[in-house]
Amino acid sequence: MRASAARIAALVRKEFTHLFRDPRSLALVLLLPVVELLLFAWAISFDVREVPTIIWDADGSAASRAYVQQYAAGGFFTVKGSADSYDDIDKAFERGQARVAVVVPAGFQRAQDAGLRADVQVLVDGGEPTSARMGEAYALALNQRYNATSFASWVARTPGASVDAPTTGVLEPRVRTWYNPDRLSSVFLIPGLVVVIIMIVTVQQTAVTIVRERDQHTAEQMLVSPLSHTELVVGKLLPWTVLAFVDMAIVVGLGMGLFELPMRGSWAVLAAGSVLFVFASLAIGLIISSVTPSPETANIAAIMVAFLPSFLLSGFAFPIASMPPVLQAVTYAFPAREMVTISRGVFLKGAGLADVWTELLQLTAYAVVAVGVAVRLYGRRARR
Amino acid sequence: MTDSPAQQASDAVVASELRRSFGAVKAVDGVSLRVPRGAIFGLLGPDGAGKSTLIRMLATVLAPDSGDATVAGASVTKRPDAVTPRIGYMSQQFCMYPDLTVAENIDFFAVLRGVDKPTRKRRAAELLASMGMAQFTRRAAGRLSGGMKQKLMLTSTLMHSPEILLLDEPTTGVDPVSRREFWTILAELQRAGTTVVVATPYMDEAERCSHVAFMLSGQITHHGTPAELKALIPGVLIEVDAPDPRQALAAASGAPGVRSAHLLGDHVRVLSDADAQAPERLQALLRAQGIEATALAIEPDMEAAFSYLAEAAS
Repeated sequence: MRASAARIAALVRKEFTHLFRDPRSLALVLLLPVVELLLFAWAISFDVREVPTIIWDADGSAASRAYVQQYAAGGFFTVKGSADSYDDIDKAFERGQARVAVVVPAGFQRAQDAGLRADVQVLVDGGEPTSARMGEAYALALNQRYNATSFASWVARTPGASVDAPTTGVLEPRVRTWYNPDRLSSVFLIPGLVVVIIMIVTVQQTAVTIVRERDQHTAEQMLVSPLSHTELVVGKLLPWTVLAFVDMAIVVGLGMGLFELPMRGSWAVLAAGSVLFVFASLAIGLIISSVTPSPETANIAAIMVAFLPSFLLSGFAFPIASMPPVLQAVTYAFPAREMVTISRGVFLKGAGLADVWTELLQLTAYAVVAVGVAVRLYGRRARR
Repeated sequence: MTDSPAQQASDAVVASELRRSFGAVKAVDGVSLRVPRGAIFGLLGPDGAGKSTLIRMLATVLAPDSGDATVAGASVTKRPDAVTPRIGYMSQQFCMYPDLTVAENIDFFAVLRGVDKPTRKRRAAELLASMGMAQFTRRAAGRLSGGMKQKLMLTSTLMHSPEILLLDEPTTGVDPVSRREFWTILAELQRAGTTVVVATPYMDEAERCSHVAFMLSGQITHHGTPAELKALIPGVLIEVDAPDPRQALAAASGAPGVRSAHLLGDHVRVLSDADAQAPERLQALLRAQGIEATALAIEPDMEAAFSYLAEAAS
C-alpha cells in the first residue's frame, strides 16, 4: 500500500493537538530545557570557589603569617577563622564551617630560615568529594608556588648558597585550563545538556505516546483502518523529531546569547551528529514502546534507559575517565556518550570532522543497529 | 461448515473452527458460526465466555491460533486488508482520544479510513444529528457521558459506511435510556441494510436481535432465532409474586414437578414440567404453607431461555 501523506499529516496534527492540550507535556518539552539550562548555569554549579578554610597557626611567626596570608589572597579559599587544636578542626568540619584546614606547626620559621624543609599540613573534608578534590588541587598549587618563591628568596638572602639562582626564582607552576579558561561549569555543561534534552524528548515522549495509543484502545481502531505501520511510525516520530531540534535550538540559542557559549567548531559536524543521535534515540523510544505494557512502565523505562544514562553515564555530569572500568564499559551502551563528546568537541574545542569521526562512526553504527532492532520488535508487536 | 458457495456468499460472516488461547485459557475454543446478511446477530454470554475474543478475531485485530473466518467475503487471516475497509469495529473499552473533541476524533479516524473531506463533513453532520449529538461536537470526548461516548464511537465507526458492524458490548455500563436509544439506532442501521454483530451480556437486548448465539467457556452452545431458542425451553414458565420472594423461592424449589427456580428482580421464576395445571398447583401448594403467593404462566423470554440453557450445559 502506498504511504498516504494525508494519513501521516493527520497523525502529526493530532500529536501536536495532544501536546498543546496537555500543559504538563508542553511544559516538559518546551520549558524543561530552559529550566534545566538556568538551573545548571546558576544554581547547580560544579565550580569550586571560596572553599571555607580555617587556619591553625602554631608557629605564630612572621614567616607562618606570610604563608597563611596566601590562602586569604586568592579567590579559591575563604579563611573562615582560626583553630588551636585538631579538635577545633574536627568540629569545624562537622559543623560544615570549613572544608579545608591548614596546619602550620611550630618551628616553621626556624626550619625555613635554616634552609630546611618546613612541613605544613592541609586537611581536606572528604565528605564533599567534589570540593575536597578541588580544594586539594588548589592547595597543592598554592604550596608549590609558595615553595618556589620562598626558596628563591632564601637563596637570595643566604650568602654562599650555591644554587643556580636565575632558574629557581622563575620555577612557578602555571596551571591553565584550556577551552574553558574561567572554568565556568555552565559553559562546559550546555553542550551536554543539549544531549540530555534531546534524549528526554525523543525517547521518553515517543515511547509514552505510542504505548498510550494501545492503552486508550485507539491502536485497535488504527488496525481496522488502512493505516500502515510505516505511516504510523513516521507520523508518531516526526513531531518529536521536530521538537527535539526546536529544543536544541532553544538551549544553544540561550547558551550562546546568555552564557557566552562559544561555537568554535563546525555546525555541519554538529548537525550530522545530532541527526544520527536523534535517529538512535527515536529507535530506543520505539524499542521501549514495543516491550512495555503501559504508558507508566514506558515512562519509567525511558527514564532508566534514556534520562539517567544520558545524565550520569555520558560524561555530562561526571567524567567517564574517573569511573570504575565496569561503568566505563557500560557507557558505550548508550549513544549519549558519543554525542556529548561530539557536542563538547564542536562547541568548546572547535572540533571538525577529523576530530570526532570515530564518534560519528560509532553513532552511525549505533543508529543502524537500534533502528534495525526497533523495526523488528515494533513490527512483531504491531502484528495482529 | 458444509455450505454451498452461493450460500456462503450471502452470509456476511462465516467462521469455522476459530480458536484462540491466552496462556492456558482457551478464550475461544472452536467456534463456527454464520451470520446472514442484514441480520442483527446477538452474541450472548456471561463475562469471560469469549465474546470479545471472537469479535476481535472477526474484526482482524486479533489473529486466531487456528481456524479462519470470512468476513465481507475475505479471509481475516489471509486478506485482513480486504476486510477492514468494509467493516466497522467498536471495542468494549472507550477507544477515542479523551483530549480531542467529538468532531476532531471523528475526523481523525475518518481521515485514516480514507474518507474524503466533503463526505466527512456531510456524514459527520448527518450521523451526529441523528444521534442527538449535534450540539456536542466541540466537547472533549473524555467529558462525555457514558451513553454519549458510545454514540461517538458508533458515529466514528459508521463514517466510512461499513457493510458489517462488529460491536463488542456497546451498551455495557450505559444507562437504560441510552441503551434503548442505541438499539433504536441499530434497528435503523439494519433497515438500511447493515449487518450487525453485537456482543452483549444483557438478555433483554437479545429480544431485539434477529439471530442469537449463546456463548459459554469459549464455545457456542446454542444458536438460532430468539423464537427457536425460546422453543427449546421444556415445560411451563411460571412467575410467582409473593410478599417475601425468598421464602416463596425456598418453598417452590422443592415442589413436585419444579425443574428449577430462581429470583428475578422481586419475582420468583419457576420452570415446571409441561402441564396446563402447573401454575394453579404451585399457587395452591404455596398458600398451603401460608405464603400469600400468586402464580401465573408467562411467555418464555430470552432471560429464561438463557438460564435454562446455561443450567442444562453445566
